[in-house]
Amino acid sequence: MQNFNFIRPDNLEEACDLLVRYKDRAKLITGGTDLIIALREEKLPNCLEIIIDISNLKELNYIKEEGKYIRIGSGVRHAEIANNKLIKKYAPVLSMASSVVGSPQIRNKGTIAGNIITASPAADTIPALIVLDSILVIRKGKEKRKMFLKDVFEGPNKVNLKSDEIVCEIYFEKLPLGAKSNFIKLARRNAVDKSRMNIAVVAQQNKNKEITNIRISVGSLTPIPERFKDAEDLLLGKLPTQDLIQKAGKKIAEEMINKSGYRWSTEYKEPVVKSLIDRVLNGIVEVE
Amino acid sequence: MYKIINKSVKRIDAYEKVTGKAKYGADLNLTHQLYAKTVYSKYPHAKILKIDTREAERLEGVVAVITAEDVPGNNIMFGKFPVLAKDEVKYIGDGVAAVAAESREIVEKAVRLIKVEYQKLAGVFNIKEAIDKNNGKVHSEIEDNLIEHSHHLLRSGDIEKGFKEADVILERTYQTQFVDQAYIEPEAIIVIPDPYKVGVEIHGSIQNPYSIRTNVATVLGLKINQVKVVQSTIGGSFGGKDESVMLMAARSAIIAMKTGRPVKMVLTREESFLESSKRHASKAKYKIGAKRDGTIVAVENNVYTQGGAYNNKAMFVNWRASIHAAGPYAIPNIKTDIYGVYTNTVYGGAYRGFSAPQIVFANESLIDELAEELNISPQEIRIKNCLKPGDELGTGQILLPGKIPAPLEKMINNVCKKTDFESKRKKYIKERESFNPIKKGIGLSCTFRGAGLGGEGIDSASATVTIDIDGSILIQSGLVEMGQGMRTAHAQIVAEVLGVSLDRITFCNTDTSVTLDCGPTVASRGTLAGGNAMLIAARKLLDRLHKRAAIMLDCNIIDLVSENNFIFNRLDKSRKLTFKEVVEECLKGQGLSLSAQGWYTPGPEKLSSETGRGNAYPTYSYGASVIELNVDTQTGKINVEKIVAGYEIGRAINPQIVKGQFYGGILQGLGYALIEEVRNKDGYLETKNYDDFLIPSSFDMPEMEVTIYESDDPVGPFRAKSVGELGIELMAPAVANALYNATGKRIRELPLNLERVLLGKTLRK
Repeated sequence: MQNFNFIRPDNLEEACDLLVRYKDRAKLITGGTDLIIALREEKLPNCLEIIIDISNLKELNYIKEEGKYIRIGSGVRHAEIANNKLIKKYAPVLSMASSVVGSPQIRNKGTIAGNIITASPAADTIPALIVLDSILVIRKGKEKRKMFLKDVFEGPNKVNLKSDEIVCEIYFEKLPLGAKSNFIKLARRNAVDKSRMNIAVVAQQNKNKEITNIRISVGSLTPIPERFKDAEDLLLGKLPTQDLIQKAGKKIAEEMINKSGYRWSTEYKEPVVKSLIDRVLNGIVEVE
Repeated sequence: MYKIINKSVKRIDAYEKVTGKAKYGADLNLTHQLYAKTVYSKYPHAKILKIDTREAERLEGVVAVITAEDVPGNNIMFGKFPVLAKDEVKYIGDGVAAVAAESREIVEKAVRLIKVEYQKLAGVFNIKEAIDKNNGKVHSEIEDNLIEHSHHLLRSGDIEKGFKEADVILERTYQTQFVDQAYIEPEAIIVIPDPYKVGVEIHGSIQNPYSIRTNVATVLGLKINQVKVVQSTIGGSFGGKDESVMLMAARSAIIAMKTGRPVKMVLTREESFLESSKRHASKAKYKIGAKRDGTIVAVENNVYTQGGAYNNKAMFVNWRASIHAAGPYAIPNIKTDIYGVYTNTVYGGAYRGFSAPQIVFANESLIDELAEELNISPQEIRIKNCLKPGDELGTGQILLPGKIPAPLEKMINNVCKKTDFESKRKKYIKERESFNPIKKGIGLSCTFRGAGLGGEGIDSASATVTIDIDGSILIQSGLVEMGQGMRTAHAQIVAEVLGVSLDRITFCNTDTSVTLDCGPTVASRGTLAGGNAMLIAARKLLDRLHKRAAIMLDCNIIDLVSENNFIFNRLDKSRKLTFKEVVEECLKGQGLSLSAQGWYTPGPEKLSSETGRGNAYPTYSYGASVIELNVDTQTGKINVEKIVAGYEIGRAINPQIVKGQFYGGILQGLGYALIEEVRNKDGYLETKNYDDFLIPSSFDMPEMEVTIYESDDPVGPFRAKSVGELGIELMAPAVANALYNATGKRIRELPLNLERVLLGKTLRK
């Protein structure tokens, strides 16, 4: 267990000031579901001096509707997101993903920003947030900046945030009326398990059944979470057929191998991702 | 009619456990205690060139550092385990030094300051490499890596003649993995230097206090009565809290003797995975011959179990395997050989089932394969061949009308009938071709299990029952409670005999200075052997009480009855005394002792070393189960939906606890079948904690319907026999058989995880 001082600021401003002052000598804690383990395993930088507890900050704890956007404070727990009415209505894919994170205990402690910052390739909420084209609001001292979620990831368990920056909010556009979304998780057991693979999709068809909007993201497949544009392009504007959906799955498998190389798990993941893409799309798309 | 037994009374240790009053090993703390930790090997096999402890010793707060040089007595314990490795490390969990310090933080820092220079050596890491003579040796004195006394055999009939009579012969190989017992409480030991004489007192999560006492005494160079071992409340063990706590106790005791201070050692989960025993991995070659009508005429098998670097149990595990390897069938010609091999890996030990999970997986898969080959149903082939009254076991023992019951036929038919087995099985075969990637499957398995230790060792147990002046009763056993409910079963037996209510009974934890050696709490013998000793002790006391009461009531002793806390004349029920009145008269009025010892053994088992035949076990328990599952043929994910099982156990002393044992065993068995695997890569442990070593969660628990079959098997107390281990062994073959039914794919290696089900093989990092 590493040594540290523990500070619980009263407001966001104070927390931001502390971060600016301590930079990489500080770590933020909210749920602690990853940080505590890293502390015990002594995997945090040696220069660590303080842990800043922002779990009680009301400024980071909200889910609200603002015009065409849904805004989520970075400190909101998975369990709240899973059960929130706004999320269920406007971004069901995120509700589905949040409801299968870890276990009830982890969902009650772990936060949405924590899941992002840890940047595990197997994270459940990330593919859902990716297909929502989420944007992060990041604060450093009093300065604010925005960034697409997809741009924050540098590699497995790596994000390109500075040590004095704090993610305050995640927001995205509500899914349009008529858009459907779906999420599936594949794991070795039925609870408290890392995903072997997870898939988030958003799809919309016009009255001629042509696909007018399609977004696909798959976890545990590529080093950096992303939308699978080649597969999306294949489907966009088309009348979906079983053959087309299968081709999209094949494209994603190809992209996985291009980006991750042929790894020990590829022999398993290649056929599985094809089947699951087929299944997840068939769940929400009307196929010719 | 029974008053106390055969009823689901509340557990007598429930209050202490539920309210948190019961202390587990890690809860104990003493003033001036030191915190000890082991420095583990860096390599699976290496020469130790130099151990430099100086920097650790200089760290403030470090009180003692020990290496093999500091062991006062024998450094090598039972099973060749070194307290601390001296010249060579043989697996990744070997301890090379131990450190004690004023705090946990300091000791954690100190272990990293011990500098060990190694010279890496080649190693053997699996059964194949161990058997191949060119791959080197784990122990220099053993040429073929074969574990001493681990070869057990059974010869029955004429195997060559048997195969000549066969119309069909199948040869198959089955493999199983190492698994960890995965108890919730990691191992904890606290050693206190004896304040009055040379010696130590050891508390902790100890399954077998007497063997720990013997081994620690040898290590310290003391007599066994200079070492006292007291069992703390145990948070699960399943056979596992044995070798690891023996090593911890030995190291901590050396430090306690050296420093004169109490020493506490608690393993982290990672250390527990590293240093504790596993269920042996195995490779089983089977050959079976049958007539066209399904009659099995010959079984030959050759089984290797992987023992790891040291060995405490292969000779016992393999003996049990040798008796059961041909399954619960009447087969005229059997040739069984079981061997254990050393490897430079984590080691095999006891884990609920004790060879049965491996053997039953192989044999019950094989029976289904044979049925398929002969185009008859899995139910029919089992009914045709299963042990029936009058049959002879491979050991030569005769079933009813001999002493041993044979209820398997009825049990198999019942589980099949309840699940509509045959029609579902046929339906699911048809559905294999359907469009839906989720396929359903149904699978059957059955088993028999020798009760108690049998020919594995001397199966004897003692008990002490003491009645106090207030009419309360203390029961003492050298067999330990580790969650299985044995203590409650013992209390029910004593209360039934004495005719008193259960609330009079209290227990004491096993304490080697007070309780009598009962042998280890293993082999599902806690009730069978320990309960019988309790019964005998209680009967002795009842006899003394009745003798006195007969005088007090002026009646014949044979007319006395004890019931509901009264002793009365059955011919005139108004002539009665309270239990307490008689106790008071005995203790105060007459100076009689109301403390009695019971001792029980089912008798020495006679076995021939040439054939393995003889009275292997006093009796057997039986089980049969049907599993219904679905499998996602696109991902390999199996979901077990329902289990219907029946177990014949003689008599249930406490039906609810018995069912609890079966539910738990079933889920543990499913974990073994589906997801659990301790993975070694070139001797390095890959599964270090519960994020990698997955066990089933409550969401993985299927619907379970368990039927208890009772019988008049006379061996156990009130006819109760073995329960604890029987639940686990039916699951893996039933899942494999159901998977075959669903997909037409036969998988002969465990666990049946995503990759293996989808691709038929495991993928390795």
